Amino acid sequence: MTTAFKKMMCRFLAVALITLPFQTGQASMIGTDQVSSAATVQANRSLVLNHLNRAQTVSEFQALGLDAQQARDRVAAMTDEEVGKLAGQINAVPAGGDGLVAVILVVFFIWYFAFRR
Amino acid sequence: MQRRRHRARALVSPRWSAWQQGVRLVAGALLLLAGLGGCASLVPQTMALREAWPAGVARSSENAAVPFFPQQDYQCGPAALATVLAADGLEVGPDDLVKSVYLPARQGSLQVEMLAAARRYGRVSYQLAPRFDALLQEVAAGNPVVVLQDIGVGPLVNWHYAVVVGFDYPAGELYLRSGETRRLALPFTVFEYSWKRGGYWAMVALPPQRIPASADAAGYLAAVAAMERVAAPQAATLAYATAWRRWPDNATAGIGLANRHYADGALAQAEATLRQTLAQHPDAVPVLNNLAQVLSDLGRNDEALALLDRAARVDASPAVSPAVSPYAAAVRETRALVLQRMGRSR
Repeated sequence: MTTAFKKMMCRFLAVALITLPFQTGQASMIGTDQVSSAATVQANRSLVLNHLNRAQTVSEFQALGLDAQQARDRVAAMTDEEVGKLAGQINAVPAGGDGLVAVILVVFFIWYFAFRR
Repeated sequence: MQRRRHRARALVSPRWSAWQQGVRLVAGALLLLAGLGGCASLVPQTMALREAWPAGVARSSENAAVPFFPQQDYQCGPAALATVLAADGLEVGPDDLVKSVYLPARQGSLQVEMLAAARRYGRVSYQLAPRFDALLQEVAAGNPVVVLQDIGVGPLVNWHYAVVVGFDYPAGELYLRSGETRRLALPFTVFEYSWKRGGYWAMVALPPQRIPASADAAGYLAAVAAMERVAAPQAATLAYATAWRRWPDNATAGIGLANRHYADGALAQAEATLRQTLAQHPDAVPVLNNLAQVLSDLGRNDEALALLDRAARVDASPAVSPAVSPYAAAVRETRALVLQRMGRSR
């Protein structure tokens, strides 16, 4: 773990500890994501974890060449579940990029004429 | 994987690498030929289509109007996403999407980001069930589908996004906007082979007034909730309203729509939506809680308190133990607020 990440993690924890338990909104409507998420029971428990996952993913994005603002914006567009799956896995998950269909055209042709459906 | 390949390319001479690629190609071809006998394991879903074609889906269909953006460099992610977004008339090109889905160091785009980026444009990103029938259902309904393929051979992994726009089962072909090819025809077998290794990953990104043909209520509403995080509020309102019309007895759809009305300050509409939902789900604690909040905001605290008592009774019933009731805290909070507004302490 990089020092920068540790620092950010500490900041996040500090902020989370201060703000999260004392969150008092005027309205106490139950949110739609709370109702539609399958893991509702664990929602409160994983609140801090979500913040950490997001912080980690932002720093991983930065390590992969995004500037800080871009990295934050992009992580913000993900759901808690998506960030949870991605955090720490960013170099292991597929990244679609190449379009060199020609490489396998030969193989395609062999199969193409034998079997199509 | 890709980075490793790059380093390897730099170290060995071009001729060696070409020879290596040739060997891999032949090995891959042999593997495929060997597989022809036992195709069932190589392309199980294509084999299953022979037995049973998905009910209610045409045998051939193509949406020729889907635009085409030839990909540049490694940017098939932005190109594929632009294809589905522009298919519904959004004025967006691959260049606009590079900053939200392309990862320079990976020379590609992550699946999660493909889903997330479309939400910013007010589209509901919906990941399809990993099955041919879901894919075919969407394409037959005219919805272009982004798919993740591994077009490498043998040990070579080469992830690629393309957009399926049509298919012709009697001819045994699927039609894709792919790379630099406007209309790539791939046999079902070949397509499945390349699609399988990514876990049959496929997504659509549709405007909020259109629900994917293969969508189920829970999955779709989760997708709308995900969009609500980042999209314009009207898009989410429209999506919930559409979902509620499609699945009128779904409590989440009603709650979602009511929450949108509430956020917009349309309390009367929120109340009406919640009352209709409550009529179908008299024991739904979130509906009771949220309706109580709305009524309290309307100054009808007595009615609100009655609803909260009802919610507390449901939570206290033997069927729901306090440990598993995820809404108990919210109900207590609402109750405290209502009592405070009534000038009472309990």
